[in-house]
Amino acid sequence: MSILINKNTKVLVQGITGKEGQKAATAMREYGTQVVAGVRPGKGGETVYGVPVFNSVAEAVEAFPDISTTTIYVPPFAAKPAILEAIENNIPIINTIVERIPIQDTAYCLAAAREKNIRLIGPSSLGYISPGEGRIGVVGGPKALANQVFQPGSIGVISRSGGMTNELSWQIRRAGLGQSSAVHVGGDLLMGTTYADLLKLFEKDEQTKAVVIFGEHGGNYEFEIVDLINKKEFTKPLAVYVGGKFASVFPEGMNIGHAGAIVGKGQSADEKERALKSVGVLIADTYEDLVSKILPYA
Amino acid sequence: MNLYEFEGKNIFKNFGINTQKSVLLRREDNIEEKYNELGIKDVVLKAQVLSGKRGKNNGILFASSMQEVKEAAEKILSSNIRGQYVAAVLIEERLKIAQEHYLSITYDTAKRQPILIYSQAGGMDIEDVPEEKIKKQYFDIRQNDIESDIPFAKELWQCFLQSDARVVEINPLIITSDGEKIAADAKVALDDDAFFRHKEWNFEPRTMLGRLPTERENLVGKIDEGENYYRGTAGKYIEMDGDIAVLFSGGGASIANMDALLQVGLRPANYTEYSGNPPREKVAQLAKIVLSKPGLRGLWIAGGVANFTDIAATFQGITDALDEVKPAYPIVIRRAGPNEEEGKHLMEECAKRNNLNLKIFGKEVAMGATATALVDMINN
Repeated sequence: MSILINKNTKVLVQGITGKEGQKAATAMREYGTQVVAGVRPGKGGETVYGVPVFNSVAEAVEAFPDISTTTIYVPPFAAKPAILEAIENNIPIINTIVERIPIQDTAYCLAAAREKNIRLIGPSSLGYISPGEGRIGVVGGPKALANQVFQPGSIGVISRSGGMTNELSWQIRRAGLGQSSAVHVGGDLLMGTTYADLLKLFEKDEQTKAVVIFGEHGGNYEFEIVDLINKKEFTKPLAVYVGGKFASVFPEGMNIGHAGAIVGKGQSADEKERALKSVGVLIADTYEDLVSKILPYA
Repeated sequence: MNLYEFEGKNIFKNFGINTQKSVLLRREDNIEEKYNELGIKDVVLKAQVLSGKRGKNNGILFASSMQEVKEAAEKILSSNIRGQYVAAVLIEERLKIAQEHYLSITYDTAKRQPILIYSQAGGMDIEDVPEEKIKKQYFDIRQNDIESDIPFAKELWQCFLQSDARVVEINPLIITSDGEKIAADAKVALDDDAFFRHKEWNFEPRTMLGRLPTERENLVGKIDEGENYYRGTAGKYIEMDGDIAVLFSGGGASIANMDALLQVGLRPANYTEYSGNPPREKVAQLAKIVLSKPGLRGLWIAGGVANFTDIAATFQGITDALDEVKPAYPIVIRRAGPNEEEGKHLMEECAKRNNLNLKIFGKEVAMGATATALVDMINN
């Protein structure tokens, strides 16, 4: 089993004719994921690596009604209309890599998505990978590299950082383990899919025996995990690293690292770790330690 | 970007939110002229800082004569407010206060929608107001207009939406004894990522670090400007007081590595991160500025196993800088990802031709462990 993706997932790429869109289409296809269509207004009828391009999401969905996931590769100023187009056409999962989307645009898209029960993963998400099943987006890099880093296993991986999704998955592999699914949730202030959302999916996933999270200072999302565990909606072993202890020397309101990593009252790395520890979460002092913490449960 | 009070109030005025009469006094201005220009006897002088509690830290002073205004202005301009640099002094009409309220709109991360917070017990930190005296209301960002009988709520909503703000706060919102509503303070944080639809955003350089931005910070800030601003970022640099230069890749790795650097007892000369596969030129510009800081004792270049960042291309940006600067201090590199072999080769060639004291690691070693390697090289 896996979360969010399996071998049957059919994927649309919005912005497929651009450099990043082509890179993503290739990354997904070489990992065995079915990229069935692309969108680029004005370029309908063309093909990219054999994938048909449509002028609009509506046209693509009409030709391929079983598209279940779309990935969005457009510049930040074009992100909102692209995401809304996917929502209007009822694609159940939207992954967007786009960084630096204005917060207001993200909030707008999330409100529209929620009304239709559509899941948005991102913004600023490189995607997710379920070894042996497929991947969405570019997480893991070129196939040869992805195969060095990922192998099917029992550890779920969640990270605020794209680079650290890969790095952490690599540390898991080095320890002789594998990953069930690894998800880059993105580093923005507003997260479409949060740690808690994913932990609920990992809870149901039989393949996943334990989960590791790379978190950061700023925002309140780690506190949702505390609630989830208190309500017994997540019961598997969980190890968390919260980066950004150094940031406490900076004044409140300052932003260091990702867009969501804002120094704030009650949101420091230390405060998050204390709250998580109180409900039995394993706290790692360094990101490498996440693996040794989780090893006995794998 | 956090705004100064006077900048926030200028935005408020555009949305029909009243503020009291005021003049802005800069360091170079003549205090007498400014006080006369305002033409009001009883005034309040307020330090213009980006964060911090001014009231409790002598950042707000009252005056009723030329002599008192001069003394107060000089006092504020020569101080710093809890580590915050005072950019200017706002001299304002003193109000006859009947009530002090609190009003703000920001994003609630749990609901991922805006939240309006209002209290009739304003004038103090909202965290210190008892919960039962606070009114919270969620709004859908898709609403163009809101219905509310809270003073200035509709105006502040328009301000929040149209200004692409992250936070707008009026505290205190004063009701005068004449029944007038006045925003007596303004705390506004704008969303930098919305700059492309705000040609009017043209603010003076700032940092929240209690000082003016350094020359290096200003230079780095320009790297990500221009048409291709979103094609990788290399414009992040905070100058710090340590002596280890750092060049980190990726927001998450940079945070983990800053923590790791402090854990091994080294002190960063800067915080810097580039990510999203920036072109060689951007990385070279950034690296040259990072290496230009005097008094460095080491350089740590570290990042995780990249997904798609081209290690060779970004390393070329760094070797461009190393070829120019030729540092004599130890350099440790840890990086992996696409084209890592070529990247490693480029670095080794660069070390050879410049006779650098450089060690390079790949993914066989975790990032944190290479900080220890740098400590060893510095101590030998």
